[in-house]
Amino acid sequence: MDFLKVFDMLAWFPENISTFGGDLDALFAIIYYISVGIFFLTFGILGFFLVKYRYRPDRRGYNYHGNNIVELTWTILPTILFAAIGLYSDEIWERTKYSKRVPKADLEILVMGKTFGWMFLYPGADGKFGRNAHNDRSARSLITLDNPFGIDSNDVYGKDDFFVENQFKVPVNANIVMRGSSVDVLHSFFLPNMRVKQDVVPGTWMNIWFNSFKPGHYEIACAELCGTGHGGMRGQYDVLSKTDFDKWSDSKNAEMLAAQTPAPMASAEPAVADSTKK
Amino acid sequence: MSTAVTHSSEAEHAEHAEHAHDHGHDHAHHDLPWYRKYVFSTDHKVIAKQFMLASLIFLFVGGAFALFLRWQLAYPGQPVPVIGTLLPSQWVDNTGAIAQDFYYQLVTMHGSIMIFLVIIPLAVGMFGNFCIPLMLGTDDMALPRLNMWSFWLVPPAGVIIMSAFYVDGGYAAAGWTSYPPLSGVINSPTFTVSGQTLWLIAVFLIGFSSIMGAVNYVTTVLNKRAKGMKLFDMPLTIWGLFITAIIITLGTPVLAAAIAMLFMDNFFHTSFFLPDNLIAHTRHGIEAGAGQPVLWQHLFWFYSHPAVYIMILPLMGIVSDVIATFSRKPIYGYKAMVFAIAGIAFLGFIVWGHHMFQSGMNPLLGTTFMLSTIVIAVPSSIKVFNWLGTLWRGNIKFTTAMLNALAFVSMFIIGGLSGVFMASAPVDIYIHDTYFIVAHIHYVLFGGSLFGIFAGIYYWYPKMYGKMLNESLGRKHFYWSFAAFNATFFPMHIIGLGGHMRRIHDPSIYEFLKPIEGWNKFVTIAAIILGFSQLFLVINILWSLKYGKKAPRNPWRANTLEWAAPPHPGHGNFDRDIVVYRGPYEFSVEGRELDYWPQWEPGKSISVHHHTIVVDEKQESNAFGTH
Ligand code: HEM
Ligand SMILES: [Cu+2]
Ligand SMILES: [Cu+2]
Repeated sequence: MDFLKVFDMLAWFPENISTFGGDLDALFAIIYYISVGIFFLTFGILGFFLVKYRYRPDRRGYNYHGNNIVELTWTILPTILFAAIGLYSDEIWERTKYSKRVPKADLEILVMGKTFGWMFLYPGADGKFGRNAHNDRSARSLITLDNPFGIDSNDVYGKDDFFVENQFKVPVNANIVMRGSSVDVLHSFFLPNMRVKQDVVPGTWMNIWFNSFKPGHYEIACAELCGTGHGGMRGQYDVLSKTDFDKWSDSKNAEMLAAQTPAPMASAEPAVADSTKK
Repeated sequence: MSTAVTHSSEAEHAEHAEHAHDHGHDHAHHDLPWYRKYVFSTDHKVIAKQFMLASLIFLFVGGAFALFLRWQLAYPGQPVPVIGTLLPSQWVDNTGAIAQDFYYQLVTMHGSIMIFLVIIPLAVGMFGNFCIPLMLGTDDMALPRLNMWSFWLVPPAGVIIMSAFYVDGGYAAAGWTSYPPLSGVINSPTFTVSGQTLWLIAVFLIGFSSIMGAVNYVTTVLNKRAKGMKLFDMPLTIWGLFITAIIITLGTPVLAAAIAMLFMDNFFHTSFFLPDNLIAHTRHGIEAGAGQPVLWQHLFWFYSHPAVYIMILPLMGIVSDVIATFSRKPIYGYKAMVFAIAGIAFLGFIVWGHHMFQSGMNPLLGTTFMLSTIVIAVPSSIKVFNWLGTLWRGNIKFTTAMLNALAFVSMFIIGGLSGVFMASAPVDIYIHDTYFIVAHIHYVLFGGSLFGIFAGIYYWYPKMYGKMLNESLGRKHFYWSFAAFNATFFPMHIIGLGGHMRRIHDPSIYEFLKPIEGWNKFVTIAAIILGFSQLFLVINILWSLKYGKKAPRNPWRANTLEWAAPPHPGHGNFDRDIVVYRGPYEFSVEGRELDYWPQWEPGKSISVHHHTIVVDEKQESNAFGTH
């Protein structure tokens, strides 16, 4: 019976774990059912005509050049159908992608693509990023392969920012907002189960957000050709319960602290209050 | 110029042609040296054949590349069977398995060859050249010498793009879309010729060739129609080619400009498309730059979305003509068809952003492009309905040409439907850059364009070479191709929904792709069958050239003007004056014994409630129209 799966496209999606993923899959399903309908309608008519009007020597074709009312009908009906799909899609599109609809972040992460891997920067214990290429464009000149985020090591807020490679961990049921870029060529940050895909472009930052309802271990891929290692740009991520996530980030923070001599307390106000904006 | 010569001796040449096709092809002018007859010819029919030959060769190169990459996807890292160890050492590792960097060259070259060196030259170059003067009832193109050059830029382009074999690093490997920075940044000093540099030069030349051809087509259609032929007396093939030519003249210069910029980034290390502080692949940084990588995508797709219509509008026209002829029916809604083509062409220029929903383009623009893209599905569906309307109450003959035309219509429906999924921007988030897209492009470009091209070849071969193609070989070619085509490309929808990215060399490393592993193998086997099915076509073309049945003047009992020409027309085309009396689709007219009424036959008719009725039929002139 597995064979019947062939006819049910929807069965082939990997499991959805994100809040908006359900909307996207449902929209796919709607278009799919409409398409199946149109498919059977047009192929039915086509097949019927081909059989019914197949060549017979005693018959002639019918000299008829068409009819404007019919033309108008089959112009207007698809227009209405397609426009409806478009408008309905747009609602979902605005909700998932528009910059001003990005939800308030429970956790902010920077993601950077490089050939061939993914790097993730967490704000650390203070929950704030120090000066880096995201919040200060001039810090782009600090970008090197060893410092892909262009972190300014003199900024106290940055002392506890930590980064991980080809894997990340996020808490379940939280709004995760990522800002993505690349150090070299285009990549596309693809989380199949999360229904997330966003090209990352060197020189600019993209908004990526999601909220997962299901803890587990999943895969990261790259969806934009980026060179010889493109197919191998695999990473992994975990969606953890709040406590597990806290435990992990505490241990990361402790690592960072241990690696540094005690930092002087910050005396000055940070130049920018919102760590994501210049 | 040679047209002037032919005018004076048109009848004589045509006469000569009728006799000469008995003994091979030695029919052309004896006053021209051989290289002007067969190589640097200005005869539109010779140029059409040259396009056909060059592109069919590339069809097999591109197809072979596709089979290599299919092998790697189904059996990653395993030696290519039979020929593995015979392949050049740049292509395979020492076990005979596809080398990883060659895989990315394969993907790039397969796409580039198929689009720039196969579909465009066949759809526009071959059919444009062959059909336009003949179907307009004229002796040649308006600008034959320009026409010659439009062909003679293609072989050098082919050689240049393929010569990357001898260059360090091999062929271009940034995909047929060549997105920078990947395509702009190389790991070597300035002035290094890489595969990418050669790719850019080659595509620039092909663009140039397209523009020359297009200027010529537009001029010819506007100036050289036979006496009495109004624009709305032109067959849809001509409409398709005419509007395609307009798209080319408007779109291709933009591609040329973009390519020139990318070439400078690539070769001189400027930074039109490169931002500052870029860490180039591994070795060196690019100093300059406040460029924008996404700008390339805008420029590229501003051309390349219209280009997908360049690749299908001519075939839509051809398929319409084939369907009308073999259903013995007028096209249902001829004017609606013309307006739909024009509508697609216009809308085609405002939808390019649907390739860029996930590119980082402002999502606000995503909304705009989504709506315009969805609107473009409307003229596409109008065309489908009109084709169905044409079949309705016909008397349908299933010749090979007709079978291929019907395949076009049905496969285009599937490709159009998958287009609607991707046109919906939120749905596209997940399926963008997966095999779902690959399925779509092959349903429209192979299922659509290539089957349309096959239909055209089967339909016009008799006029091209004076011989009929073998129908039974043709049918075999069709059935094998059609079945293998669907077995190859339909499962790609499923593979795509499983999340399989495009252009990856090894799906087996991903856990989430395990469920579709079996499909990858299935597709590869089907693709191999599909590839080998094309041998029927080659055999048929070659065999019929020599042993084919002699073609009568009007083998399909069609109405359009090319069938007024002798079976294998020489330079100058027609052996008598052509005057057009009616539209191209007067089949099965009431009050007429024959079920077709060629455009060139005198006679009066009136139109009553969308039916044509004979008023005054000049029977005696029929002798010339029939066999
Ligand atoms: C109903 C009409 C069509 C619609 C709505 C449509 C829509 C789309 C969309 C939205 C994409 C971008 C998908 C993505 O990258 O995520 C796309 C890709 C593509 N379409 Fe269509 N399409 C239609 C017809 C055609 C036709 C007729 C052709 C060619 C003859 C064509 C050729 C292509 C190609 C080649 C691509 C892929 C380009 C690439 O990224 O390599 N499409 N189409
Ligand atoms: Cu990649
Ligand atoms: Cu497009």
